[in-house]
Amino acid sequence: MATAQVTARELAKRLVDRETSTGASKTTRASAAALAGEGLYRALSRWIGSDGCHALFTRARAQEQPANRALESLQLSPRHDPYITGVEESIEEYGNDATADALESMIVGMIELLGRLIGVDMATSLIERSLSEFAQDNSGSEKRRAKA
Amino acid sequence: MTKDERPVIRGLATGVAGLDKILGGGLPEYSFNLVAGGPGSGKTTLAHQIVFANATPAKPALYFTVLGEPTLKMLRYQRQFSFFDTKVAGAAVKFINLTEEVSAGDLTKVLEKIVEEVERTKPGIVVVDSFRTIVSKLNGSENTSLFGLDRFIQRLALHLTSWEVTSFLLGEYSEEEQRNPVFTVADGVFWLSQATDRNSVVRKIQIVKVRGRAPMPGLHTFRITNDGVEIFPRIPEQTNTRVSQKRNRQSTGIPGLDEMTRGGVVSGDAVMLTGPAGSGKSTVATQFMVAGLKAGEAGVIAVFEEYPEDYLARAEARDADIGRMIRSGKLELIYLRPLDLSVDEALHEILKAVNRVKAKRVVIDSLSGFEVALAPTFREDFRESLYRLVGTLTATGVTVFMTAEVVEGFSDVRFTAERVSFITDELIIQRYIEMAGELQRVMAVIKMRGSDHSHELRTYEITPKGVTVGPALTRYDGIMTGVPSLRLNAAPGQRTDIVKAKPSVRPAKPAAAKRRK
Repeated sequence: MATAQVTARELAKRLVDRETSTGASKTTRASAAALAGEGLYRALSRWIGSDGCHALFTRARAQEQPANRALESLQLSPRHDPYITGVEESIEEYGNDATADALESMIVGMIELLGRLIGVDMATSLIERSLSEFAQDNSGSEKRRAKA
Repeated sequence: MTKDERPVIRGLATGVAGLDKILGGGLPEYSFNLVAGGPGSGKTTLAHQIVFANATPAKPALYFTVLGEPTLKMLRYQRQFSFFDTKVAGAAVKFINLTEEVSAGDLTKVLEKIVEEVERTKPGIVVVDSFRTIVSKLNGSENTSLFGLDRFIQRLALHLTSWEVTSFLLGEYSEEEQRNPVFTVADGVFWLSQATDRNSVVRKIQIVKVRGRAPMPGLHTFRITNDGVEIFPRIPEQTNTRVSQKRNRQSTGIPGLDEMTRGGVVSGDAVMLTGPAGSGKSTVATQFMVAGLKAGEAGVIAVFEEYPEDYLARAEARDADIGRMIRSGKLELIYLRPLDLSVDEALHEILKAVNRVKAKRVVIDSLSGFEVALAPTFREDFRESLYRLVGTLTATGVTVFMTAEVVEGFSDVRFTAERVSFITDELIIQRYIEMAGELQRVMAVIKMRGSDHSHELRTYEITPKGVTVGPALTRYDGIMTGVPSLRLNAAPGQRTDIVKAKPSVRPAKPAAAKRRK
């Protein structure tokens, strides 16, 4: 993407990897991807509002669903905690890798969509800063992980 | 205590062209301001511009958004402006959505959220967009009545000021709502409006109040371009002072006209040339400019009636140097023809160009086109506006040469169509007369303040190289009627030196003259 030449996929991967590296050994790729999506939703909602953020995720899911059937089992619930539900069911039905790929695709789609709307550089900057502040404020994934 | 220990209220540069000037010297630091106006009046753009001009990583800006315009869309549109710097947005501007707090219907929660973010971020600037949405969402709710809107606004203002924050509340208010407590509490109230008159829309801003400053009164026009809001202050500073200079003569570039003006027009004067269509006003104006350029005086030509390319092509046909002068930065040709122009905007553009090229001469071609280019609302007080424009321009020391078209019958003599001759120091007229069944052009200098000038009526021709002034029509009477007659005592031999260009002048019939006698 523009500022740091980071693509949406690289940024999404970085978010998922962060959840994987900070999580316990039992953290699966799918649950890490779900936590990354959850964190992205929470952090960005503070900037663009939960409705705005949900609209982007909904569009991204609709866009990615034909190629990722695992997304069919996932639900997005605005103003609810957790935001992404149905991860376990998806893993059971489609497997860990398919669910992880589907979630990651949805995050990529969401970042790309945000980039198209407000500019790639702005979107990258917004996401990186949001996640950093969100992590500082809430001890980041630790709390979410505990909940999960 | 003898020492003056009044606290100094620093003026914050807003980054909005013209705003600091109408605020009376920038925005008072730590002031609590209300930016009010209808939808689309430019409130959000104005606020963003101020934010981007002032936000730094050390003193960031907080931009609270509420219901109303979604943040995502706001960012999408605002970043189209040149002032929207993504790097600044990423490092020094923080957008925070207050929708959930407002939706909960609790003013206390809204205030707590704002306070929490302010304490955490320690910003220099805070914007709440839109404050009106907060109020309308909470109006009538139990919490609002208990807490009290007045108290909420006061606490918010006090809190922001105590954190040394300059703040802006944006809201869609109508003029009837000025009793709203927010107007009382605010240190500054900026009123933005859009006036529609026939097919034109004019944006205006009024500084209703600014505590601790003497704002420039009145309604100031502004325009929103890719660079954001640009305000054109109604009363330019220059009108109060005038550059003192010697009253030197500036050649018009036309030897005959220089003779008539006793050496050229006076520098720093406002000169008006009037005449009917096709009388050569633009040609004279261009020659005046070229003469200045050749004497090393830079200039600005503001054209209203034709495209600059056409104007330039015509001018270059007479003098090939003019294009070179533009390329060398000695001459600037500005084109002002938006049809929703304000006199202040035109003045602003001309002044900017004058300063850029350090002009000594300005040509406005023509006042008639200028009047048409104005939004209808400004045509009503065209004379007063022109008075300010000319006064401001000449105060800078430049000589202003204006052309104006007059529509005249042969027996109807009017000096200017716009009845604006009073604003000029020098007035030159051109007109057609009929001689021997042919149209001839004549010109005369009507007035030159504080200076002698010729009182002759002289013929002139428009040649491929410009205007050439001929001899005076000293042997004719009744020229101003449009149909002159040769004086009875004029010797037959004198006829030919009267109108060299048209020797077929028909003298008055001697027989008829005798009968009258």
